[in-house]
Amino acid sequence: MGRISAYIINLLLALIICQGKVMAQDTIQFPLNIRLGMEASLPVIYLFQKTNLTFEGSLSADVNEKTAAAFHAGYTDYRYSQYNYEFRSNGMFFRTGVDFNLLKPKKTMGKYRAGIGLRYGLSHFNHEIPSITSENYWGTSGSSVPYRNDWAHFLELTPGARADIFRNISIGWTVSLRKLIYSGTGKDLKPVYIPGYGNNSKSFNLSVSYFVVWNFPYRKIRIIIKPEEPEEPAAAEENAANQGYGNREDGNF
Amino acid sequence: MRRFIQGISIMIISGFYLFISSCTSETCFEVTESYIKANFYRYSTKKLTPPDSITAYGINMEASKIYDKNKKIQPAMLPLNASTDSSVIIIKINTDTDTIKFWYSSYPHLVSKECGYTYYHDIDSIFSTKHSIDSISEKNRSITTANGENIGIYY
Repeated sequence: MGRISAYIINLLLALIICQGKVMAQDTIQFPLNIRLGMEASLPVIYLFQKTNLTFEGSLSADVNEKTAAAFHAGYTDYRYSQYNYEFRSNGMFFRTGVDFNLLKPKKTMGKYRAGIGLRYGLSHFNHEIPSITSENYWGTSGSSVPYRNDWAHFLELTPGARADIFRNISIGWTVSLRKLIYSGTGKDLKPVYIPGYGNNSKSFNLSVSYFVVWNFPYRKIRIIIKPEEPEEPAAAEENAANQGYGNREDGNF
Repeated sequence: MRRFIQGISIMIISGFYLFISSCTSETCFEVTESYIKANFYRYSTKKLTPPDSITAYGINMEASKIYDKNKKIQPAMLPLNASTDSSVIIIKINTDTDTIKFWYSSYPHLVSKECGYTYYHDIDSIFSTKHSIDSISEKNRSITTANGENIGIYY
């Protein structure tokens, strides 16, 4: 009788432990982060090109395991000259929007991101054309356009990737596809460059940014994850054949 | 997990590649000069008919001709002086010579970062003598780099 009781108690304990394991596989503790970022490539480029001095910082906060709210702010001082004109602009710019992480939360655990973001951008800037020269049959004509102040609005689509390289420090890149909504300057005297938007002489503007990001975990949430589909027997056999040995962690070998 | 980190590494390296490849060449490919596009019509038929011969030059610039006995030109591309508010073109259509004076205003227009700015013009009025020319019709007073008829010269 004593042996039967011990057996039943062992069985119950085993069931509880198994149950616990199943629960642990179905939910994970996912860390939500506040991220402070800095655009790292543009100040370096300025050292070589001397045309575009830009500082940009970003602040984002995870709303959940897939979505983060983002805010960027920066300042640009842009100077450009070539044989037939000079151009200067400087000003502040702001972008706000959301980032979506398309990777599985169980794999990323907040450390990796590959996804897409949407932004609304606003630029408040001064611009000036100190000299314009144009040559034609009649000779050379020249003029200038004095400083003026404008607001520009634009939309941005930003696919990108980010990965932790050290504890709480990430690096990442984004490709920014921007569409100007309003430049405030009319169609003729368009500024060549709008801070935060970029080259204004094209319908769409494409740029690449590199960010260094500091992560500050502020909260953990429990999320339910879908159990992974068991591998097909054929695929499992193929994997085993490729690896040449069994999976020790799974205890199959 | 190792494969996952490899994937992330590939994305970061591809980002670097994107960054390098985003450095575009700065060459001007656009049209940068604006002209009056003048089509020639036969007054008798009102049909587009290029003259047998055209000679055209700016006043006091006879040594530097825009057209010099060119045949079957259609349309004629006539430049304006952005430094002044009027330009005078001497034009010889076949055998007779006329003078056309254009009054206009000019303003700079951004072509592209690579090409810079050019001058566009808004025509105010046109005056011409009537030796060979019968009349001039104004189709589009905005003189830009775009194609399309600005004036019709009936001769």
